[in-house]
Amino acid sequence: MIVFDEVWFGYGERQILRGASFSIAFPERVAFLGGSGEGKTTILRLILGLIRPDSGKILVDGEDITGKSETELREVRMKFNIVFQEGALFDSLNVKENVAFCLREYTRMTEVEIDERVREILATVGVEQAIDLMPEELSGGMHRRVSLARSLALSTPKMFLYDEPTTGLDPINADNICRLMADLSKDGKGLIMVTHKVSDAMKVAGRFLFLKNGAVIFDGDGKALLGSEIPEIRFFATEGGFHGG
Amino acid sequence: MKIKELVNDLQDYYLLTLHGLRGIVARPFYFKDAVFQMDYAGAGSLLIVFIVDLFVGMALSLQLSAELSSLGMKMYIGMIVGISVVRELGPVVTALVFTGRVGAGMASELGSMVLGHQVDMIRVFGFDPVKKLVTPRIIGSLVMLPVLTVIGVAVSLVGGYYIAVFVGHQSGTVYWTSIRNILTLENVLAGAIKPFIFGVLISSICCYMGLSTKGGAIGLRRSTTMAVVLSIVMIIISDFLLTRVLLYLLGFSV
Repeated sequence: MIVFDEVWFGYGERQILRGASFSIAFPERVAFLGGSGEGKTTILRLILGLIRPDSGKILVDGEDITGKSETELREVRMKFNIVFQEGALFDSLNVKENVAFCLREYTRMTEVEIDERVREILATVGVEQAIDLMPEELSGGMHRRVSLARSLALSTPKMFLYDEPTTGLDPINADNICRLMADLSKDGKGLIMVTHKVSDAMKVAGRFLFLKNGAVIFDGDGKALLGSEIPEIRFFATEGGFHGG
Repeated sequence: MKIKELVNDLQDYYLLTLHGLRGIVARPFYFKDAVFQMDYAGAGSLLIVFIVDLFVGMALSLQLSAELSSLGMKMYIGMIVGISVVRELGPVVTALVFTGRVGAGMASELGSMVLGHQVDMIRVFGFDPVKKLVTPRIIGSLVMLPVLTVIGVAVSLVGGYYIAVFVGHQSGTVYWTSIRNILTLENVLAGAIKPFIFGVLISSICCYMGLSTKGGAIGLRRSTTMAVVLSIVMIIISDFLLTRVLLYLLGFSV
């Protein structure tokens, strides 16, 4: 269970979160919606302990992570896999080395075993043909798939975190990524997806939280989201081109 | 508010540098990363150091030839070129070139890794970003800047020789004898200690500025520019302070 209790966070003078509170159970599939700069990505970074809140508590499995050291946070981070908006692949490494990054560091696998494992994971996400390519040679969709493969290489998490996973992708690629996300969460693994595309969120998530002015102004299922009377949410729903079909 | 930010920045810089230096002797070690950085900093900078130091030596020798010939003291060219290059110009010019090529590269690379969430990923994977990213760069600079300085000094002396002999019509034997005479332990130490200090300064400042990048492309430009400017200023200031201390410690009278 992830619990945000009255979390405030700002970058200098600019306040991003203003007392955000919510809780998410690990098997849930949740989408955070909201405009740019409303703190969606900030929430993911807070969950992983990459930034600390100015005030409030963040509990992961009952433990407050706000005061934990980097070493202690490592255990918390092992529960998650994150895919950042642009994939965050290491530019200087090719696809194979990106995926093998943690395997080389944390396991004693031989070169042959690493190669096998990398190919197996790349096949899972459907980009085995890209094994020798450099990140700049990948398309947006491949970037995210490889990033996902890299996160999966070492461990399977309790929850996947996706930061704008379909932004900048054409509809076919976006749909493929949504299917992949849904597939990976099939066996009870949760996911938190941050996006401003309601149509994509609907394909993957079952619960929706809408952020505005640093707080959660909506928390409900898809039906409630589409039927919401809140103007911003109605605007988002129609801008996403999703009409409940 | 500005003073508070400055104090915070200085404190963060100090901690990053200490942490980065501690990584040289504390596990885990990232040998491959350190070797990669040494290759980038050393082999990659060789040509530009060669060219710049060669022309600095030649220009210095030319200036001295013009000035000393009117005084009938051209036989001192070797001595003055030698002392200037070994103690002062070699280490400083090489460090400035190193800042422009390697330091700017460090700041922009790390800045781009911060903006692209690659540093976040390193933390998510359980690595210490300072040990993984900063320590190898400090090692690269700490090892390669002194090596480049030695090469730069040698090249400068050759450049000075070329001008003294082929333009100033001095005896090559006199030039090299003068150089040999000034290569005392004191003179060599006065120049040899500097690149180690400059190496740590350049790498720590540039890594700190790179890792502090925020605000997209403009932020990256700002942090890279600041990294180079601060490194250059700190090289010049620390050079003066080091010169003062070393002259005192090595027993030179001023």
